[in-house]
Amino acid sequence: MFILPALAIYALFVLTPIVGSARMSLFEWGGSPLPRFVAFKNYALLLKDTIFWRALMNNALVLVGSLVIQLPFSALFALFLSYKTCCRTLFRTAFFAPMVMPTVAIAILWQYIYAPEDGLVTKLIQLVGNDDFTFPWLAMPSSSPFLPSVSLLCIFVTICWQYTGFHMVLYMAGIAAIPDELYEAARIDGANELQICRHIVLPALKPTIAVSATLSVIGSLKYFDLIYLMAAGLPQNDREVMATYIYRLAFDQGQGRFGYGSAAAILLIAIALVVVLPIQLTRLRKA
Amino acid sequence: MSLMSLHHHKTSTILRHVFLLIVLLVCAYPLFWMALTAFKLEAEAQAAPFALPHRWVLKNFAKVFNSGDFGHAYLNSLLICVTSVVVAVVFAACAAFAFALFDFKGRNVLFIAFLLGMMIPVHVTLIPLNLLLGPQYLNIKESLWALAGPYIGFALPVSILILRGAFSTIPNELLDAARIDGCNAWDVFRFVAIPLARPAFATVIIFNFLTMWNEFAFALTLLGPDNATLPIALNNFKGERGMYLAETCAALAVVVVPLLVIYIFAQKHIIKGLTAGAVKG
Repeated sequence: MFILPALAIYALFVLTPIVGSARMSLFEWGGSPLPRFVAFKNYALLLKDTIFWRALMNNALVLVGSLVIQLPFSALFALFLSYKTCCRTLFRTAFFAPMVMPTVAIAILWQYIYAPEDGLVTKLIQLVGNDDFTFPWLAMPSSSPFLPSVSLLCIFVTICWQYTGFHMVLYMAGIAAIPDELYEAARIDGANELQICRHIVLPALKPTIAVSATLSVIGSLKYFDLIYLMAAGLPQNDREVMATYIYRLAFDQGQGRFGYGSAAAILLIAIALVVVLPIQLTRLRKA
Repeated sequence: MSLMSLHHHKTSTILRHVFLLIVLLVCAYPLFWMALTAFKLEAEAQAAPFALPHRWVLKNFAKVFNSGDFGHAYLNSLLICVTSVVVAVVFAACAAFAFALFDFKGRNVLFIAFLLGMMIPVHVTLIPLNLLLGPQYLNIKESLWALAGPYIGFALPVSILILRGAFSTIPNELLDAARIDGCNAWDVFRFVAIPLARPAFATVIIFNFLTMWNEFAFALTLLGPDNATLPIALNNFKGERGMYLAETCAALAVVVVPLLVIYIFAQKHIIKGLTAGAVKG
């Protein structure tokens, strides 16, 4: 049958691990050689685990940042480029370029940019003023459980650098699909550029905004590489998002808490399904 | 294509260009800086980060090729990515063909099962996969091929969705005509469906290849020390020689510049592949 090979691999490497996680999450399995059945104890512990909540909070904070800052800017760049622009392709190529780079490379590059004593940001501030200025950009813990740390904000800038071009391309396609007649009609009616943006472009972009926001939500649950590499200098209770916490619980030296990590993984799946499933179903029904 | 107005103002056009240019500089500068630093002496790289190289040197690259294992890593990445993409796309095409054109029991349930894979953050499978590929079960952990299963498995949902979309736009008359001419399902698949879905195949191949090429978490967890892929080799190099700014920038350049060159030449296809892959997936 046509489906069989795909199904076999998918079942073995995607579905089995998920079922395995669910099973493992019911065991205490760490220092001891043999897993011990503890029913839902791992979940109860997780709900009291402040690092877990901070990780979830960090996911949420990055998501809010993406929706409130990154998306409007992507749309603005796209709008600017949709007017007659010199070297439009050059701009588009350059803004999109970080998307093809490995995240590891981006993380390393930006760690140098944010280096506390001789990073580019620090050096720039030294150039314009204070010669002795140094600042641990990527090692500043947050001051409140509900606020992002300075370091998370710095990493967020890198995230924007990586993804803004991608969202911009989405908006450019959305704007390009608006028929020229609409603008012409609006201009004949005496509308100015701002009114055109507000009453023609924005409504026409609604589906694109929906796609771009959906991708941000899905993507926000998958943050790993950048945070894992760039936030490593932060204290343990501050540096995690969900995916990095799961990884560190299981694979950091001396941890090996497979049961507990699996419970966190199952909660992440649950969150993903609750948040993403309704959005995806609506999208698929439309498509 | 254009919002270009017949009577736009000169000043606003200039302001718009100035703004875009500033964004371009901020956006491109990190890469520019990386490339320049790769040619500097270490002391100079530390002392004058914004200057052009006083003397252009190649010894950083020599160091990268001698101490880093980048040749080997390129080969590893190429092997695992090409294999995984080929297998994933072939299997996905077969499945997508069935989902698009055949009516069979459990079709919707199976299709939804595949789609669920796209909503699952891949990192939740790290722990069980580590066990599944480990000595107790499949015993291929540490080898390069440990990556093939997860790479293919997680490439399937997106690929099936996109290819199914392309196959289901093939007009029924065409399929009927092929059948009347004596084609069986396999012939229809090979000679009608695949050629007509070429753009979708391009999207799927580019999207999956780049995703795998840049993949980090699975490689970090499942590979042994002798089988690094490119991102892991880069991460290791940073770990060992990270205090040497110029050398690490050379290593970054060795990994990033070839990708960017390919990107510049094939940007139309790559931009389309990455956006369509993400949006439709």
